[in-house]
Amino acid sequence: MKFEKKDDGSYELDVRGYVCPHPQVYTLKSLEKMKEGMILEVLIDNPSSVESITQACNGKGYAILGQNSPKAGVTAIKIQK
Amino acid sequence: MAEAKSSRNKLYAAGVVSFLAIISILYYISAPVYLYIVAYMWFGFLYGVLQQYGRFCFASAWRDLIMVKVPRMFVGIMVGMMTLSIIAVFIFVYYPERYHTTQLGLHGLIGGILFGLGMVLAGGCATGSLYKTGEGNMVSLVVLLSLSFSQAIFAVTFFDSIFEKFIQKLPSFSMTELLFGKPAGIPDGVQYKVKYGDYSFWQHMVADAGVNAILIALILLIGVYIIVVRKGFLSRRKDAITAQAGASADGGEARMGFKDELAGFWSMISSSKRTSIAAVLIGIVAAAQVFGLGWMAKHYDFNNFGNVLVGQPASGGPPPSSWPQGKTYPNDVAVRSGNTVFDPGYWYITTQEAMFGAWTMKTAGLDSHPADNKPGYLEDNHYFGDYNGIPRPWFSPAMLLSIGLILGASFKSLLAREFKWKFPTSELFIYAVIGGTLMGVGARIALGCNIGAFYAPAAFGDPSAWVFFVGMGLGAYLSAKFINWVTNRRMADMDFDIEL
Repeated sequence: MKFEKKDDGSYELDVRGYVCPHPQVYTLKSLEKMKEGMILEVLIDNPSSVESITQACNGKGYAILGQNSPKAGVTAIKIQK
Repeated sequence: MAEAKSSRNKLYAAGVVSFLAIISILYYISAPVYLYIVAYMWFGFLYGVLQQYGRFCFASAWRDLIMVKVPRMFVGIMVGMMTLSIIAVFIFVYYPERYHTTQLGLHGLIGGILFGLGMVLAGGCATGSLYKTGEGNMVSLVVLLSLSFSQAIFAVTFFDSIFEKFIQKLPSFSMTELLFGKPAGIPDGVQYKVKYGDYSFWQHMVADAGVNAILIALILLIGVYIIVVRKGFLSRRKDAITAQAGASADGGEARMGFKDELAGFWSMISSSKRTSIAAVLIGIVAAAQVFGLGWMAKHYDFNNFGNVLVGQPASGGPPPSSWPQGKTYPNDVAVRSGNTVFDPGYWYITTQEAMFGAWTMKTAGLDSHPADNKPGYLEDNHYFGDYNGIPRPWFSPAMLLSIGLILGASFKSLLAREFKWKFPTSELFIYAVIGGTLMGVGARIALGCNIGAFYAPAAFGDPSAWVFFVGMGLGAYLSAKFINWVTNRRMADMDFDIEL
């Protein structure tokens, strides 16, 4: 699992390789540490976690800024707290 | 490049379907009666497609509710189960012999707790691990192998004594029997084994579907809404309405009423379109499976597929021309129960994996084969010897369902560009082995898994399903707490370079 700051000031969490529930738990705990307005991009290769993360963010009022697939089997979700 | 990969995925997906089609044709050429187990395979395929599409996993139902407050899968399972319950009442009118209940007791709770503990550690329930294996997730394959061998070993060692001492004599009854009592005309004190046809269609609809499935599911969904969803939804709705309408005349905020509560409840039910669609379709497919397999068994003249393996039709005559001629497999069936194999006729997981584990051990020579033709230790027990047999996997009806499920998920994930080979780290390997083992032992104690001990029996009117469900929730809660603790510790050690 890798968490790092990107050049544009946003943060990236790479949870590729993990299976449920680790991606969604790491994502939400990382967001908890961040301030309102900060942006986190999460890289996941576990499709069921993507669904849980988007639902959890909707429930907490975090904005899903975008979601795409940079390569087969991988999803990148951009979340703003 | 992306287009080339997409075309390759479509080719692989077509390859999966072609492979299954060829297998189906080969089975048919061998003997038309084998279409029965081919049907199991294709129903499994449909489950795999739908589960992958809807991310349908029972572990997620409890785990995500507890850990990240997402009720998506909990809702999906209840919706699917309610759908199945209504259709099932119609189907059992035609195939009452396919209906049965199982013992209700503490074993369901204990088995459920172990199963719930295991499924959260493993990252998926029994059926969830099958579809995730189809997505290329080899962690889930480790879970399945652990599940297979732990069950087989448990079944030949401890299961018999536990079953005889604590489970065998427990009562089993349907919700219909519970609500309406013994059928009319049966004197008090007389032992009578209730049959499906002893009650009317409407009694089954009210009790089995109405109470055991729908009423209980609705109560649980309302509970989840109140505890998990309500506060956040009403708060956001209030803010939105207040912002839109401006402050009210008395200077206060917009007031929430029953209509808002209904809106909140509906938003919870409909929050994930793909899960809801998958849930309803899975319920329909599960019902179609009961109907289709029931019809085929009658059409091909057998009660259990084991009859085909030993060449003994239900009608008692010689094997019909649709059966394999001159080929029988007596070593594959449970001889002590009258030549049966595990052939549930509906969606079921775990038992076929246990049989696979036992068959592998038998094939590897890990069984005694005394010269006097008595069964080896693998068959000399209730589980394999009395009920399920140890058929070779390609003659095991439910095993073909599991294989079809994996390949259905592969097909769907390839088309969606979600297929990816994923191999376990040492940490995930350990979780998978422990989780799979706990699920295996729990499933045997509870006499089934999330499907066989909960989803199907809950829909079919068996109250014992809810005992297992509560156990699953308790076990999932404990595992979720453990994973939460591990995650917090790991993140405390990491350098989160966040400018605050």
